[in-house]
Amino acid sequence: MEVFVHSVQVWLKGTELYYIMNNVNWAWRTSESIHFIGLCLLMGTVGLFDLRMIGLVKRVPVAALHRLIPFGILGYGMNVMTGITFLTGASDQYIYNPAFQMKMLFMGTAGLNVALFYLTMYRRVASTAPGDEAPFPARIAGGVSLLCWVGVIFCGRFLTFYRPPWHWCPWC
Amino acid sequence: MDWKGFFILFEQGSIGTWVRESPSMLAFPTIIALHAVGMGLLAGSNAAMDFRIFGFARRVPISTLENLVPIMRFGFWLNAVSGVLLLLAYPTKALTNWIFYLKLALIAIAMVDTLLIRKHILQKPNVDATSVSARAKILAALSLACWAGAIVSGRLLAYTYIYLDASFTDY
Repeated sequence: MEVFVHSVQVWLKGTELYYIMNNVNWAWRTSESIHFIGLCLLMGTVGLFDLRMIGLVKRVPVAALHRLIPFGILGYGMNVMTGITFLTGASDQYIYNPAFQMKMLFMGTAGLNVALFYLTMYRRVASTAPGDEAPFPARIAGGVSLLCWVGVIFCGRFLTFYRPPWHWCPWC
Repeated sequence: MDWKGFFILFEQGSIGTWVRESPSMLAFPTIIALHAVGMGLLAGSNAAMDFRIFGFARRVPISTLENLVPIMRFGFWLNAVSGVLLLLAYPTKALTNWIFYLKLALIAIAMVDTLLIRKHILQKPNVDATSVSARAKILAALSLACWAGAIVSGRLLAYTYIYLDASFTDY
């Protein structure tokens, strides 16, 4: 595993993107700005939908609100792309960073949660009338999603404070 | 007292010192993380409102967008408090950088814009029965532009500061 990770890092350091991230003055700050705007798009649409699930903004009809989700997917896409630029630009600052590892765990959990949501309950949830509480499983799924995305944001901001090799964590 | 003395005094306050120097993850790291969560809630729910005014998610009644206001308010206060704490920690860094004032100005314009949108669009009687005016769309576009500008200028603060602290050493 270690040998594999290392060879991926060697490959990343030979890419054009690695060169740009480390030698072009505006590259990092532009990527970060896009990453933060993507965060807002995700929170404002997916996060808003989660809030509707757990019982806030109940006057808003669920199926209609769901039409804003494409903006969340756009934000997610922006953040995956800019995330790849960070990871390529400074791979050893991320791969061995416990905050990054936790961030990936939260993203994975959010992914599983959303897959489960669409596979097992979305159809029933979409018919929730304005003013009505979402079905119980959907309230749980909304809460899990919200916690995961807040966790992702926290871990993202914590990255700087857990930079290898100056950190400690139970599994490092 | 000269203007540098003002920064020195500002920086030595006990709250600012704790935020800046405490090794606890609850100090600077948690405050800056909360600032990002508040940003997502405030700018995000504003963007959702703007997208609806542009004509996306048409079946969401415009009047129900008023229900987003408590979320905006929560995000705003979370960021006002965390922002003041961050400012107390690094007053010189922020206040000697013109981009910090640009960020505050953009947020102020965006807030006034939201008030205008609420007063003239969301709270208008019969809003759900009429079509959205061009003026409403201009206000929504201004809102999106100001929030995006505020986010970008906030991010640039980490790159554009001249002095980190009241020692006024060039960086």
